[in-house]
Amino acid sequence: MSSEHAHAHESHGAAHVSPVSLYVTIFLALMVLTGVTVAAAFVNLGQFNFLVAMIIACFKASLVIWYFMHVKYQSRLTKLTVATGLFFLAILLSMMLIDYSSKGFTPMPPRVNPDSEFQRP
Amino acid sequence: MSNAVAHAEQHAHTHHPELRHHFDTMPQQKEAAVIGMWVFLLTEILFFGGLFVAYMIYRVWYFDAFAEASRRLSLFWGGLNTAVLIGSSLTMAMAVRGAQTNKRAATVNWLILTMILGCVFLGVKVIEYQDKFANYEVPGPSFNWLAHEQHEAAAGGEHPSTSLGAGTAAAPAAAGEGEHRNLSLTPEQLQRTTQIYFSLYFTMTGLHALHMIIGIGLMSVITWMAWKGKFDEQYYTPVEMSGLYWHFVDIVWIFLFPLLYLVERHQ
Repeated sequence: MSSEHAHAHESHGAAHVSPVSLYVTIFLALMVLTGVTVAAAFVNLGQFNFLVAMIIACFKASLVIWYFMHVKYQSRLTKLTVATGLFFLAILLSMMLIDYSSKGFTPMPPRVNPDSEFQRP
Repeated sequence: MSNAVAHAEQHAHTHHPELRHHFDTMPQQKEAAVIGMWVFLLTEILFFGGLFVAYMIYRVWYFDAFAEASRRLSLFWGGLNTAVLIGSSLTMAMAVRGAQTNKRAATVNWLILTMILGCVFLGVKVIEYQDKFANYEVPGPSFNWLAHEQHEAAAGGEHPSTSLGAGTAAAPAAAGEGEHRNLSLTPEQLQRTTQIYFSLYFTMTGLHALHMIIGIGLMSVITWMAWKGKFDEQYYTPVEMSGLYWHFVDIVWIFLFPLLYLVERHQ
């Protein structure tokens, strides 16, 4: 039992140590992307301003998760755990937005408001 | 004699003093800690996720109010804080690297630098909050959307200061002087709906700042442990865990910055 567990983790060995140059590169990329976000906000892209800002933010977050938080070098189980959280966040955001944006789709009975001057007979 | 020493060395090598009895190896113990920390961070993601959902829905409903209120935030301070926080993520990554390579002094120094950058962030946040209080932009009874323009007009010496409560007839005129954009909302509507934006602004940045304070508190303990020489290249889990927490807080800000400061700047 014990040897089986040990065997399963032997292949991991010592933790991966990223070179300093990688960290500096990621830092510079994050700074440049922050500048791009601010610059893009001053260009009128209509509906796409929000989309561009969120795509850049997601890319920046991915860089932090993948390299600064070492998920790239973690086990598949850890990667799956991270993905699960993001999946549930996606459910939270998308389902709520679908619900609120589709409120007007179904026909509703006329509203009865005692304060309104347009009262039903 | 030599046999005993060899045995002791082998024993010290195979059984790290920090290896708990219910784990077989140090990597196994570390992986368990990493997964546990990520499970905690997932609850944090969904914790902030609820606020992001509230933000999204109100942003869709009151977009013009959000766009107007967002312009009241200082892009300089927000941008500076983003840079400071990304920089602190770099120093945190370097601190974990120092622990991984068994460099005690480097670990301590990078952790202290990270804490300093965290404090700079919080200091800038205090300046921003102070500005909001001074401009009557804190949701509640004293919230006054027009105070900002009246303040500017009074500074220019064009307008006597008027408050929204004193006369609503004077308010649109005062707003008309200050605003050059075509607004779909009356000043009264802005007075109500921009409070929703500022409520979310204070809740989200306040919760984020609370996480930063907790992170700095964690790091001061970790720094003390590193200073005492409690970590080596086999065991540095507390440094790595506080690193994960700090990077998570950085990611939250990566989303908060465009959502709060850059709603609609191109007008």
